[in-house]
Amino acid sequence: PVESSMTGDANCVDEILKEMTQSWPPPLTAIHTPCKTEPSKFPFPSKDTQHAGFPG
Amino acid sequence: VHSTELSSTTVMPDYISKYTAVASLDQRQTYKDEFNAEYDEYRVLHARVENITRRFTQLDAQCRRLQPGTKEYQEVHEEVLQEYKKMRQHSPNYQEEKQRCEYLHNKLAYIKRLIADFDQRRAQSWS
Repeated sequence: PVESSMTGDANCVDEILKEMTQSWPPPLTAIHTPCKTEPSKFPFPSKDTQHAGFPG
Repeated sequence: VHSTELSSTTVMPDYISKYTAVASLDQRQTYKDEFNAEYDEYRVLHARVENITRRFTQLDAQCRRLQPGTKEYQEVHEEVLQEYKKMRQHSPNYQEEKQRCEYLHNKLAYIKRLIADFDQRRAQSWS
């Protein structure tokens, strides 16, 4: 049984819209952190460490 | 048409057993390399699905604003059909691509989480 073209189209459009407008998450961001990041805190007392490399 | 029976059995994604907690910097680098190896493919697929979804979401919003039965309404409906046809011609495997992208999204998010966990443990061990 073939549906009438008008209703067939309308149903078809509804189904297309339902299928094609499913929510889509924003893209994952890349892994930014460089591998060799130094931790900002050191386990030693600060008097024993040089301040070289301190970001200015 | 996919059988719904497939989804009744819970299949663990392959990457869950492949990728375990990161324990060393070497392992971290390996995971990061593998993330990057698939990230480009993921971004291309994601952008494609995003564009198509956005296009149909616009048309959907237009349809909702218009009075059914009017000429404009019919025209937008016609546009939906044309756009869908165009999409099927351009990307006949759209659904597969979308599924592939969802798989990659979950997989890459999983790897990223393992790396973030490692970084966090490492930062804590220094404090």
